[in-house]
Amino acid sequence: MSTRRLPSALERTAGRAGRLRAGAVLSALAATALLLGACSSSSSTSSSSSTTGAATLQSLQSWPTSSVSLQETGSSLLYPLFNLWTAYTQKQWPNVQISTASTGSGTGISQAAASTVAIGASDAYLSTAQTTQYPGLLNVPLAISAQQVNYNVPGLTGHLKLDGKTLSAIYQGTITNWNDPAIAALNPGVTLPNLKIVTIHRSDSSGDTFLFTSFLSATDPTGWGKTGGIGYGTTVAWPPVAGAVAAQGNGGMVTACAANPGCVAYIGVSYIDQATAKGLGYAALENKSGNFELPTTDAVAAEAAGFATKTPANGAVSMIYGSDPNGYPIVNYEYAILQTSQPNSTTAQAVKAFLAWALDPSGGNSPAYLDQVHFVALPSTVTQISVDLLAKLH
Amino acid sequence: MTRTIVGTGGRGDSPLPPVLDADETDEPESAPAFIESDRFGAIAPEAPRPEELPPGSAASSAVFGPGGPRGPGGPEGPGGEGGPAVPAGEGARRGAWWRAERLMPRVMHGVAFIPLVALAFIVVALLIKALPAIRVNGFKFFTTSVWNQGNFYAPLTSTHGVPHPPGADYGALDLIVGTVESSFIALALAIPIGVGTALIVVEKLPQRLSNGVGFFLEVLAGIPSVIFGLWGYLTFGPWLSHHLAPIANRIPDVPVLRFFRGPTGGGQGLLTTSLILTLMILPILAATTRDLLRQVPRPTVEGAVALGMTDSESMRTVTLRWIRSGVIGASVLGLGRALGETMAVAMVSGVILGRTAPTIWSSMNTIAAAIVTQLDAAFTDASGFAVRTLAELAIVLFAITLVANIGARMLVRKVSGTALPVGRGV
Amino acid sequence: MVVVSASAEAPGARRAPVTAAQLHLTRRRFWNRAVWAGCVLALALVVTPVVWIVAGILAKALPHWHWGTLTTTSTANGGGLLNAVVGTFVIVGGVAVIGGAIGICGGIHLAEYTAEGKGGILRGASEVLSGVPSIVMGYVGYLALVVGLFKWGFSLAAALVVLSILVIPYITKSTEVAIRNVPTAYREGAEALGMRSGYALRKVVLRPALPGIATGVIVAMAIALGETAPLLYTAEWSNTLPKAQLTHSPVGYLTYPVYQVVNTTQPSVVQWAYSAALLLIVLVILLIVVARVIVSRTQRHAPERQHAAR
Repeated sequence: MSTRRLPSALERTAGRAGRLRAGAVLSALAATALLLGACSSSSSTSSSSSTTGAATLQSLQSWPTSSVSLQETGSSLLYPLFNLWTAYTQKQWPNVQISTASTGSGTGISQAAASTVAIGASDAYLSTAQTTQYPGLLNVPLAISAQQVNYNVPGLTGHLKLDGKTLSAIYQGTITNWNDPAIAALNPGVTLPNLKIVTIHRSDSSGDTFLFTSFLSATDPTGWGKTGGIGYGTTVAWPPVAGAVAAQGNGGMVTACAANPGCVAYIGVSYIDQATAKGLGYAALENKSGNFELPTTDAVAAEAAGFATKTPANGAVSMIYGSDPNGYPIVNYEYAILQTSQPNSTTAQAVKAFLAWALDPSGGNSPAYLDQVHFVALPSTVTQISVDLLAKLH
Repeated sequence: MTRTIVGTGGRGDSPLPPVLDADETDEPESAPAFIESDRFGAIAPEAPRPEELPPGSAASSAVFGPGGPRGPGGPEGPGGEGGPAVPAGEGARRGAWWRAERLMPRVMHGVAFIPLVALAFIVVALLIKALPAIRVNGFKFFTTSVWNQGNFYAPLTSTHGVPHPPGADYGALDLIVGTVESSFIALALAIPIGVGTALIVVEKLPQRLSNGVGFFLEVLAGIPSVIFGLWGYLTFGPWLSHHLAPIANRIPDVPVLRFFRGPTGGGQGLLTTSLILTLMILPILAATTRDLLRQVPRPTVEGAVALGMTDSESMRTVTLRWIRSGVIGASVLGLGRALGETMAVAMVSGVILGRTAPTIWSSMNTIAAAIVTQLDAAFTDASGFAVRTLAELAIVLFAITLVANIGARMLVRKVSGTALPVGRGV
Repeated sequence: MVVVSASAEAPGARRAPVTAAQLHLTRRRFWNRAVWAGCVLALALVVTPVVWIVAGILAKALPHWHWGTLTTTSTANGGGLLNAVVGTFVIVGGVAVIGGAIGICGGIHLAEYTAEGKGGILRGASEVLSGVPSIVMGYVGYLALVVGLFKWGFSLAAALVVLSILVIPYITKSTEVAIRNVPTAYREGAEALGMRSGYALRKVVLRPALPGIATGVIVAMAIALGETAPLLYTAEWSNTLPKAQLTHSPVGYLTYPVYQVVNTTQPSVVQWAYSAALLLIVLVILLIVVARVIVSRTQRHAPERQHAAR
């Protein structure tokens, strides 16, 4: 793809990876092996080993006993899951208080970079410029999520089929009506109403924007994704389209789409239930093999499976528009953006303990939490990558 | 509450002597603030003080002067300087305490200059941040509507020595237009409503009801901006778009009327923003006009009535002319507030970037709302260029509101608002 | 302008043809009524939104209100507001003290040491400062205090500094006006009694000026209560009670939950926002009432301040 850069010195690959649902079983087995093979999981307050190789999920989960207050801010896509996690950990370890906020991935990155929060949440990995400017900044994969395209077209049952090129045309304003021939061609037999399309995009700096525009760039390399074109990022210069609406946060997108008949919006999968409750439908998107897939956990896991081995040691890889024939095309890792050097060792210990618990397939990465937000667990190889990154904190 | 002290023309026919009319602070310029007067030194039966400064010199130089009087004998507090001397023996008896007494006014005067320091800091900080962006963005910052932070995933480039992501392109025309058009629409609506309310309150309503309306105005002025935003976003905006949709959808597609054509959308747009801004600047206009109307001299109005004019005619020919410059001043103050309004606009305008609003129902953006919603996004730009562009925007906003406020001051000598926040751009 | 004679009083009662003067009168009466109707409409347009907003918030917040909101802290999905209430009190109180101290000094300086209308740079700075949009101050505060020069992080200190600078011009103006309103006769009497200037300032001038100064401080508190933009970038937010830590410790405040409605769909969060809005309105009305009580008390005790009852 023309928009993908060749690997930089920071080992970012052009490939994408994911993990099958069956792989989740495999990872559970691997985790069990880890558990059995690891040292005794005592909850002592001794800090974990600082050599990368020796850190394990269990050794990182040593919670401090003194009172620590952590701030988290960032991705609205990760926010519901993060709240589920903190609800549990604050009951178990009440001395570690974690405040969460849903402000958008861009804020997560910038606040973590400025060290004003301990944990920044982001759907987007760090750019080269960001890693150059802030050498101590890490992006640590926590879970696998996806993004759907919602629409508000009353009277439609089932799921519309859409592809990236059509969406690119819609967001550039060349397709303006739902009964446009291009959309009809994808959906034979469906009666599309004569309804103006209202495009909705994020007004804040958003990981969802990053995912959606990556998808558009990948599927429309000569249009959206061309060099000097609109491109992808947490903020982009959206082409002026008549009637376009901007909304803040995934929650704002759901509300705005429900309030504007004819809307099309890109929303994170953790909000799919709320969107459906408000009467919004979601589309089946065309993947690279030509199949139209819905964002089911199987399709998401299938897409992620292909990237499990392609994820580099720094965790930054794009899983958009991968090659798995049954994969859903918009899939990503949810990242915790962290400074390697934390204000003090107790904070570092608390951050490591919390995130290690979150990565643990018997802790935060178990279906009990992930299913509620339609996420998929990390494959064990990626979990190890995250553990190694976490171990760098001090 | 603080009174309105308005320098409208022709105050001289007020019958009350100056000292009893607390509303008038037109004490003649020659009446010295008491501390400046050296009469203290003359009256107090104390030893002469060779260091005493000549009469008429500002007390501040007496305060800051190195010699300094030997300090009064009263309890500590501000302003305990510049007065007559205590005999040297008495001062010496009190020791360190009266040294502190001499220090107090200096501290007070130093502290008084903190706002000046703060303002200078703000201006300097903004300029330092913004100058590189001003150089790169150039004149097209004011003539184009685009907000492109550039491609973060490519190496940084630089223009004129300023690093920025490739493709970064900023043009604030849509923001400036959005700010100006929403504020001016708000002002155009607020002036008749405010003046009309004030007329009724002053002329027709009994005292209790007019106090009640004054209370409503103060509540309106005091409601936080986010609550206006909450109401506009959840209640008023949807109500407007729902109830005006039948009209808006029927407007034909002809040149001027096109601006009012539907679809009305979800309620976030130029119309909702302008109406909310109208509500926010109404208290300034209504309260100021009310205070102005109370100062219109009765004999002149009675003369008009004696000639047989109806109420509306006497209002038009006499009263409104009398208060005209005051109303203009208050309008400009209200305009200043509307221009700087942030949170309510961020919640109801739809904060869209890159185009001016084609219809009154479309989403739009203003400078202040853009700054508050884009600040976090700007920090993701590792080169810092987006932050600098926001500083440039802040300077533009600062300049616009400065012009509005200076205009207000020049038009009206003194307009003090009601007790509750007016003129505040929240 | 035509002077109309009394015989044109009841045009309908006459059977003779209507004269130009009578037509003129009818039209003038019509316009008179139209203008008054317009003024009544204007009054309605002022009163209605206030009632709509306040009643709307009461209607949405009261049914789900429970006193636990005031005793529990916030959670991710809403929860209580104790942390926000305490944070608001701390912030508003801190601004009243710091901004009040600086502003009163400024007001005294302007009132007593400079002639009216002059005072040059300090007065000009105060007026320009009062027009600076709060987001600009928040921006500079963030860059200078939170991440830049001072590196305090999200903190109470940064919030207090920025908000104090915001409100100082209002306190300065009120103090100056209040002190200048003290009649010269008071000062002349103090002089005649031989009071030293500092003593006279404290005992004679400041006492009657206190209500005006207090009103100015209340205005400042109301402004600080309603601010959001600068607080977003200096105090951020915290779900826990404010710690006794001035730096590196974010603080909650009541306007933040209200702002969160735009990026949520959860009804519990919307409810939380309405509860915060309710508390804000209650506090604002409280401040207004206190200010009115102060003014009415002083008006009762200072007969020379009463003006014509119009």
